[in-house]
Amino acid sequence: MAFYLQNESISYDNNVILDSLNLEIKKGEKLALLGKSGSGKSTLIKRLFELKKDEVSFIPQELGLVNNLSVFHNVYISKLDTFSTFYNIRNLIKPAKKEIKTITDILKEFDLEDKLYVKNHDLSGGQKQRTAIARTMYNPQKILLADEPISALDEYLSSKVLKVLKENFETIVCALHNVELAIEHFDRVIGLKNGKVLLDKKCSELNHEDRQKLYYVCD
Amino acid sequence: MKIDKSYIMSVTKNAKITLLFLFIGIFAFLLADFEISTTDTSELSKRFFYSIFDLKFNNYTILLEAFLSTVSIAILAIFCSSIIGFFLALVFHNLLVRITLAVTRAIHELFWALIFLQIFGLNTLTALLAIIIPYSAILGKVYAEILEEHDTFPSNLRGKNKLSYFLYTQIPDAFPHLISYTLYRFECALRSTAILGFVGITTLGYYLSSSFMQGVYNEVWLILICFYILVASIKYWFTKYSFPFLVIASFFYLDDFSGFNIDNLIRFITNDIVPHPIRNSLGFDSTIKWFDNIFFNEIIPGVFNTIVLTQVSLLLTAIIALIMFPLLSKKFVSKPTIFSSHIFLVILRSTPEYILAYIFLQIFGPSMLPAALALMLHNGSIIAHLMGNETKLIVLGPQRTQRNINLYFFEIIPRVYNQFLAFLFYRWEIIMRESAILGILGIATLGFFIDSAIADFRLDKMFLLLVVTALLNILVDYISRKVRSYLRVKENFTSCGCSLK
Repeated sequence: MAFYLQNESISYDNNVILDSLNLEIKKGEKLALLGKSGSGKSTLIKRLFELKKDEVSFIPQELGLVNNLSVFHNVYISKLDTFSTFYNIRNLIKPAKKEIKTITDILKEFDLEDKLYVKNHDLSGGQKQRTAIARTMYNPQKILLADEPISALDEYLSSKVLKVLKENFETIVCALHNVELAIEHFDRVIGLKNGKVLLDKKCSELNHEDRQKLYYVCD
Repeated sequence: MKIDKSYIMSVTKNAKITLLFLFIGIFAFLLADFEISTTDTSELSKRFFYSIFDLKFNNYTILLEAFLSTVSIAILAIFCSSIIGFFLALVFHNLLVRITLAVTRAIHELFWALIFLQIFGLNTLTALLAIIIPYSAILGKVYAEILEEHDTFPSNLRGKNKLSYFLYTQIPDAFPHLISYTLYRFECALRSTAILGFVGITTLGYYLSSSFMQGVYNEVWLILICFYILVASIKYWFTKYSFPFLVIASFFYLDDFSGFNIDNLIRFITNDIVPHPIRNSLGFDSTIKWFDNIFFNEIIPGVFNTIVLTQVSLLLTAIIALIMFPLLSKKFVSKPTIFSSHIFLVILRSTPEYILAYIFLQIFGPSMLPAALALMLHNGSIIAHLMGNETKLIVLGPQRTQRNINLYFFEIIPRVYNQFLAFLFYRWEIIMRESAILGILGIATLGFFIDSAIADFRLDKMFLLLVVTALLNILVDYISRKVRSYLRVKENFTSCGCSLK
């Protein structure tokens, strides 16, 4: 079992964000969370992250990139705890060949290799998202939690990115608002509305009515 | 129709604060002494202003040396202060550090110079310490604020290696701002070092005041003009590439850093500044008498005059800034006017208020007038400059009024007034610090009593008065912060202009 939530409720300032939620996520599952903004997707993902901090690669919605750092350094950040402080400082000043190669290989998967030394503030929204995704790939954990990681990408890149992520992470919980992508790439979908689960099914078992429901929660 | 209440509330808040400080300012004006005591004002000022056409100096080697030592002291001082300040910024969250730095900042660099003169004598070390100590405290505080503002990396993504995360996530974004603030502070350090000459250290201020006293006004002008050029050209010679060389060169140029004397330091702390009734064990009663005497004869009038001068100057600063800022905006005047008002304001900004006050003092004689004029011109030009920048950002609607007076009162002022008050209250504490220090020129603010105490070699009294000065400054800083939060002004560091802090 990767996650097990029972009767989980979270509220801020008397606003109920998650309303007595029950959720089981098995190891190896690839799960898409659908719902419009304010449905509780981000809160749920943050909650899951808190539960298993050390086993999770996390892409928050705000991405958490450092503006004045290049793509290389923003990706490198995920291994700061792995390397020694000395090696980190050396890479901050002059990146080592070995790390450049590893990171360039990752960036190639996302068509971003030509931006290796471009600073974050000079990247487009989609390029920033791909940088944040590449960061998790540089130091991948077993579980990936991602909050709308591909909202600024076109269809071709979205599919490409999701494919790569599926290959590299055992368990994935990913918030999306594109129903087709969710059904195409994930094993299971959850439709959230006002902090409640409206639908929770395997993608292979979805019927016409279920799809209508999913479009409804994303509208 | 729904009315945006927050807007109306902030208008009335602005109006309330304006009225309050207007009344305080007018009241202070009635209490202030603005008498012109020199008899031949027009003759003296005519002679002073005409001598600008006949620039010369009797000994150019001395002038060059004064320039070099001013620049070298400023460079070494900013070098040390920025390093100390950076480490202080890292521990700024500690309450004790914050309090210590607040007290250190509240004491003007000239007062620090006067203190170190007593301990180490008239030498380079005294000059360096006088700048390094308050500047480290200022830089420590501002660096801490800059670092905090750029601490945007999500805390839940942060790992255990604190140093690495600090270097990767905070420094890259904060670094350009740290550098630009340090650069601005270097300009301030040049001004501060120059005026250290007024207490006897052989920097520019020393030759400026001696030429002034001898009535050799063309020398005064030459020094001032060279100083403006020096300040205006900073960005060409003070860069990240030249900086290491400048530091090394300054180190070798100043050469002699001796003068440190641990015995004097210990004597100063354990003996000189201890109230003399306690030092000589004269008993509790005479200690109270000692304090009473200073409290009623010096602290009360000193604090009173400092506050009066500060409030009058604050009001005058506000008025002059509101009058001058349209002269910097394309929305009001033509390009050539903007250009000339820019030059005028740059000159006013880069003249230390101490020098302005000194010049006015020679012209008008001793009263609060020279000090108030100096503070008004210096601070007013800084705020006008910042307001000009704010006005540039305003985009007017298509149906803008064609009359300047309507444009000013109905379009521009409502948009910038809140920011204007923020600028003004940022400067309030600085005006207060300067008001105290201008006492050295003979106006009976706290600086006057401190200077006299030193002249009489009564360092215990000096120390007490310095503590009072620091407390007064901290109080004003506190009220200013309260006022700003009452007005709900944006406290964004990088946008509000470094020259405020």
